[in-house]
Amino acid sequence: MVTAYIQILIYGLINGALYGLVGLGLALVFGVMSYLNVAHGALIMIASYACFWLFHLLKVDPFLSSLLIVPCFFLLGVIIYKILFDSLKRFPEGQKTKNSLLISFGLLLILSNLVTILWTADERAVTPHYAGFVIQFFGLRIPYIGIGAVLFAVVVSILLDLFLSKTYFGKGIRAASQDHEAAAMMGINVGTTYLISFGIGVALAGIPGIIVSLSSFNPSLSFELTNKALVVIILAGVGSVYGVLLGGFALGLAEAIGVLFIGATYREVIGLVLFVLFLLLRPQGLMGKRS
Amino acid sequence: MLSLENIDAYYMDFQALWDVSMYVEKGEMVAIIGSNGAGKSSLLKIISGFLKPTKGKVIFNGIEIQHAEPQDRVEMGISLIPEGRRLFSDMTVLENLELGAYTKKARKEKDITLEWVFQVFPRIKERINQTARTLSGGEQQMLAIARALMSRPKVLLVDEASLGLAPIIIQTIYKTIQEINRSLQMTIIIVEQNVRLALEVVNRGYIIENGRIVGTDTADALLNSEDVKKAYLALG
Repeated sequence: MVTAYIQILIYGLINGALYGLVGLGLALVFGVMSYLNVAHGALIMIASYACFWLFHLLKVDPFLSSLLIVPCFFLLGVIIYKILFDSLKRFPEGQKTKNSLLISFGLLLILSNLVTILWTADERAVTPHYAGFVIQFFGLRIPYIGIGAVLFAVVVSILLDLFLSKTYFGKGIRAASQDHEAAAMMGINVGTTYLISFGIGVALAGIPGIIVSLSSFNPSLSFELTNKALVVIILAGVGSVYGVLLGGFALGLAEAIGVLFIGATYREVIGLVLFVLFLLLRPQGLMGKRS
Repeated sequence: MLSLENIDAYYMDFQALWDVSMYVEKGEMVAIIGSNGAGKSSLLKIISGFLKPTKGKVIFNGIEIQHAEPQDRVEMGISLIPEGRRLFSDMTVLENLELGAYTKKARKEKDITLEWVFQVFPRIKERINQTARTLSGGEQQMLAIARALMSRPKVLLVDEASLGLAPIIIQTIYKTIQEINRSLQMTIIIVEQNVRLALEVVNRGYIIENGRIVGTDTADALLNSEDVKKAYLALG
């Protein structure tokens, strides 16, 4: 019985790693330039398709395909920013958020429908030979793919945090996120900083896309993923990379515990309940920085 | 070294500066004085690039720069210490200083500049690993000055450095700014509501009223002028 509980919590942690990854890109973009890019879920879904086609047509291993998908998504992000979001940077903070929300919601609808038209709404999955492998110990089952997800989440978070805290450009990004005018006074080109940050934000959609593709996905997943990303950044705040990862794990565990005590039917509701509770009681998020 | 020629500038429909002309020589320290809302800060924004003139020229070392973006002007050697300090308060003191040396040229000389800045502000050195928000008001102002110096500026613009500080600290800060001017021959333009304080440290002053330059003279002459005494020094 205890084993079954622990098993559910392990699945919760694996899902949590995915949620953390889903939240990272959105949190970075929102933290730096106050753009709420709700199309993030759609970009993740497209990354899943990219991974799927690479696997089916060229037999590229899904984890290996990240080496191709992540740089391509960076470029995609740069293009999307140039076309859709660059003109918003002159608005005051609140206006940026509202207008970016409108634009990216449109983008979300267009991308999900475009993918449905192109590749139908069929449920798909990438199925490498190790897809069903599990490690067993003490009666617990840990899927290979789950370990991959957790490793990816931890490694990506560490790399992103090192980039933001140790490199000059990363410090420039953090400076611009705190006060973009003062950043310009330091000689930082805020426009370029925004462009690169948005590119990184979209590149970060590539990685959860790969993990999602290994279970199963369809075009409507974009809404669900955006939803998760929003819950994660409400739980975590956008102040720190590890905070977002922690928010992801918290959501994964909360869902798992909910499944244990309330039942699997209500899994999707739990995140939304937390979303409302946090907005009411702790709007600054778990880590206590700005939300 | 730096001059403004017939500058007009607007915030939306409101004209903030009217036909403003002024100049600063290399190594000179100049004050812009005037009451609240007279256009002092707008003038600094014109020089630093945050406000673009609708008419007129900004000439720096013989080059017209009125269309240059703020970050490019930092690269050229114009550095602003903004009103309210605008530190990156969630970042450490050292990170703030590093960001001050963000431009390519300044980055190369970062370690040397840092050494020197610590000599000028020993208090800052003791606090390098604290976040900027934990500093006292005076220390924050010192950090703001130090951060601006990290870019190795040729012209330093100082906007209301005395704001919200105790008189004794204000004295220290202006003494330090004067030191920097004298020892490095650094050109400095200060904007200050405390007119007496400003005129006691600078060589020359401009008086600005309702967006127009209404007078200029040496600091001593301005301190002794009846008009200035009446309008700004609450004397006579």
